[in-house]
Amino acid sequence: MNKSHPPLWADRLLEWFCDPHLLEEVQGDLHELYGQWVEQHGLRKAKWLYIVHSLKFLRPYSIKRLSVNNPTAMFKNYFIIAYRNLWRHKIFSFINIAGLSIGLACCMLIFLYAKDEITFDRFHKKQHQIYRLTALITDPEGSSDPWKSGSTGMVQGEAFKNEIPEIEKFVRLKEFTFIIRKEGEVFNESALYADSNFFSVFSFPLLQGNPETALRDIHSVVLTEELALKYFGTTDVLGKNLALGVEGEFENFVVTGVAEKAPQNSTIKFSILLPFAHYAGKHPDEQWLNFFLNTFVVLHPEADVKAVESKMAKVFKKNAREQIAEAAKNWGFNNQVTFGLQPLADLHLNTAWYLGNGLVDGSNPIYAYVLSAIAVFILFIACINFVNLTVAQSLKRSKEIGIRKVAGGMRKQLIIQFLGESFVICLLAFTLAILLAQWVLPFFNQLAHKKLSLSYLLDTDVMAGSVTLLLITTLAAGFYPALVLSGFQPVKVLYGKQKLTSKNYFAKSLVVVQFALATFLIIGTIAIYSQFHFLIRKDLGFEDDNLVSINLPWWEDNGKVLELFKNQLADQSSIVRIAGKSGGRYGTNVKANGKEMGTDYIRIDENYFPTLQIPLIEGRNFSQDFPSDTIEAVIVNEAFVKEAGWKEPIGQTVDFFTKQQKKVVIGVVKDYHFRSLKEKIGPQLFFQYPDVKYGQIWVKIRPDDIPQTLELLEETYRQLVPFYPYEYQFMATINARQYETEAKWKQIIQFAAILSVFISCMGLFGLTTLGIEQRTKEIGIRKVLGASVSSIVTLLSKDFVKLVVIAFFIAIPLGYFAVDQWLQNFAYRIEISGWIFIVVGLLALLIALFTISFQSVKAALSNPVNSLRNE
Amino acid sequence: MRKTYLGEFEEVVLLTVALRFEQAYGVAIQEAIQEQTGRSISISAVHATLHRLQDKGFVNSFMGGATAERGGRRKRFFTVTPAGSRALHEIKEQREQIWQQIPAKALQWKVL
Repeated sequence: MNKSHPPLWADRLLEWFCDPHLLEEVQGDLHELYGQWVEQHGLRKAKWLYIVHSLKFLRPYSIKRLSVNNPTAMFKNYFIIAYRNLWRHKIFSFINIAGLSIGLACCMLIFLYAKDEITFDRFHKKQHQIYRLTALITDPEGSSDPWKSGSTGMVQGEAFKNEIPEIEKFVRLKEFTFIIRKEGEVFNESALYADSNFFSVFSFPLLQGNPETALRDIHSVVLTEELALKYFGTTDVLGKNLALGVEGEFENFVVTGVAEKAPQNSTIKFSILLPFAHYAGKHPDEQWLNFFLNTFVVLHPEADVKAVESKMAKVFKKNAREQIAEAAKNWGFNNQVTFGLQPLADLHLNTAWYLGNGLVDGSNPIYAYVLSAIAVFILFIACINFVNLTVAQSLKRSKEIGIRKVAGGMRKQLIIQFLGESFVICLLAFTLAILLAQWVLPFFNQLAHKKLSLSYLLDTDVMAGSVTLLLITTLAAGFYPALVLSGFQPVKVLYGKQKLTSKNYFAKSLVVVQFALATFLIIGTIAIYSQFHFLIRKDLGFEDDNLVSINLPWWEDNGKVLELFKNQLADQSSIVRIAGKSGGRYGTNVKANGKEMGTDYIRIDENYFPTLQIPLIEGRNFSQDFPSDTIEAVIVNEAFVKEAGWKEPIGQTVDFFTKQQKKVVIGVVKDYHFRSLKEKIGPQLFFQYPDVKYGQIWVKIRPDDIPQTLELLEETYRQLVPFYPYEYQFMATINARQYETEAKWKQIIQFAAILSVFISCMGLFGLTTLGIEQRTKEIGIRKVLGASVSSIVTLLSKDFVKLVVIAFFIAIPLGYFAVDQWLQNFAYRIEISGWIFIVVGLLALLIALFTISFQSVKAALSNPVNSLRNE
Repeated sequence: MRKTYLGEFEEVVLLTVALRFEQAYGVAIQEAIQEQTGRSISISAVHATLHRLQDKGFVNSFMGGATAERGGRRKRFFTVTPAGSRALHEIKEQREQIWQQIPAKALQWKVL
């Protein structure tokens, strides 16, 4: 007899799929045949035949039945039971579904947000090859942080491209503002100068025109659809002329292309593109140490970034040697400049390098983190509701579980049933969440500075994410209840002896977590509110009420315009005073009291301090009685005096080393907040030197008839500067805008707090309802024996109040830490005082008590006859 | 009562069960069919058919007769039930009845 054995794995396979009561004969027959095959055909063939023939037993009649139940009937039953349970406990179903759908909707919005953030600038075909040139400027002593400049000059791109073979192309981008006239009106339009290969580097499709040649001619212009419609009323504009004005003169450009609007997830945004050659022709610049535009380079796909960077350092050293020496001689420039490469995809979320010049919408990744954390918090709170309510309700279903087990239900089946139920609830919530997300999306967009649309969800990544989210939620919410419920022992249950452990620490700690999160968010809200209030109301050291700021044209000697403006309006009673000041913000290094120091400086006229009502502490204001003031005099602020260490500031000299001039201090003004309150008041210098042009007119008006006064201002301005757009703003608006970010955070945290408190309270409400239902008899007996309403309410509320208080004490240190971290952003900030926490604690307690009271008072007032009658 | 249909292969298997009277189990039936008809059938087909015949009530079965070459596993022996017997007889009679009425000329070619 041949003792060789048929392939073991085939045998195992057969044992696995074959119906157990057929297995013996089938396997016996096969083994018998195998013996014959070995003799007839040899071992190899026999093994092969054995495998083939055992697989042939994969027939309906011989395959193992998965279970003896009829699965369809079972699942049908599950669905009926799930549906009945949902329907019977409407309140709890509502709480669960509403909470979960709010949480899921939050998560969906964050998905959209995160996806948008991550996919920024990824649509360019050459995205992996495109880098921006950056410059790191460090001073040799390392005394201050290096200056990270995202900008470069005009020469670097070309020099690097010529001398480094890995660099295939370069594009420079420079923003410039033009004036466009249309039917007597004038508009400011921001244009972007770009090298002619712009469209071959970046993937911005042209609707009309040839991308290769569109920017080749020096007087060509590419418009977006939007702009073409604005100025021509049609998008069919190829070959038409567009007059762009700068410095008072207009030049004609021929439209050579119409571009689609840049997608919203593009850092490069433009409405008008002009050939860079036009800019270079008017403003030639050979300086390596100027940083004022963006240079992008395209590297060879296999280029090594580090190697290219070290080559750039060599090229810089070689080409800029003379200029560096000159700068060192003339201005004492001894800084180290290192050029680097920043990947295109890095632009959006890297806050370290300045954007600008056509690059917009930079974002801080912290937003994505904080928003995600909030969304997860809210979903988590909703899941806790589900867990707690399901477990607390489980006693009602214990009979069902007992019967199922007696009838042969396995624990695994019960777990599947309960998970299935939570899946149904999550699915309902998910559907609602999509509707909810759709509904609040416009509002969210405004809050998050985005233009998202729900159609972004129809993307495999996001879809996969959503489905995962749904499954995770199902598991998070349903797993623990399923485990508890399926663990009931049928004997106990059917004799009515099953009890949830009376302590139930798990459920209690979940409530504590819920309320700790909610309290944490309330603390955040109140802190942000107080700080915001503080920022808005803080005495800035000057009067910004009824102060109007008007932009001046920047090209000619606009001092004349200012004088004319003052003269024209001199006898208007509605205008208090008119002052001029340089636009923007300038800083420089000066030498005072023998030491070098940095300071802000602005050009003002003699009306500046009176208009802003900034008091002089010492000395005098500029005056037209002293003509030499224009050249020789400066006024400084208190911080400057302190920094310089002067005891007697009047008559001291300040040494401008860039201008190589000495100026005499004639006055000291009180410190005022010329910057945002995030920064400390630093040294500031005021002078009248005409080198720096005026940028703005500040007009203090009377509050009586503001619209008419504004009209008067506009008329006067248009008369004096006919071809320049009139733009004005109230100073108070400008000041408030500095805190836009804070205002957004305020809203976001506020909504998070409201939602989390709302969902937590729904959960609390559900839990009290259940607790009271179970204690109906107890309450009835207590009432019969003479308990008062208040004592019963206290009894019912006590446990929950305890949990809320514990949660509060957990939230305090966390809240304190987070708020303290956030406040570090502000040089001027509120003190975190105890009252914030007291208010929050009381608030949380009140909200909890209020929620509980709905049910507890009702229970306490109910007639004991009703609860005791039916036994 | 509706008559239970007996397929051609089922008929062959049923006849073989009768042929190997008291020794009819899977492998034996397969061998007998091979010998008698020259058809090579897989063992799983035999099992499937026997299973079906049992469902239809034409065969009965019992376990027994373990051997070493089966790894000590028992065989399932099949016997023809009265219903099976009747069905076979009926088929045979029907055929003969038809044969007798066929004119000799109509079927003059046969296997030698």
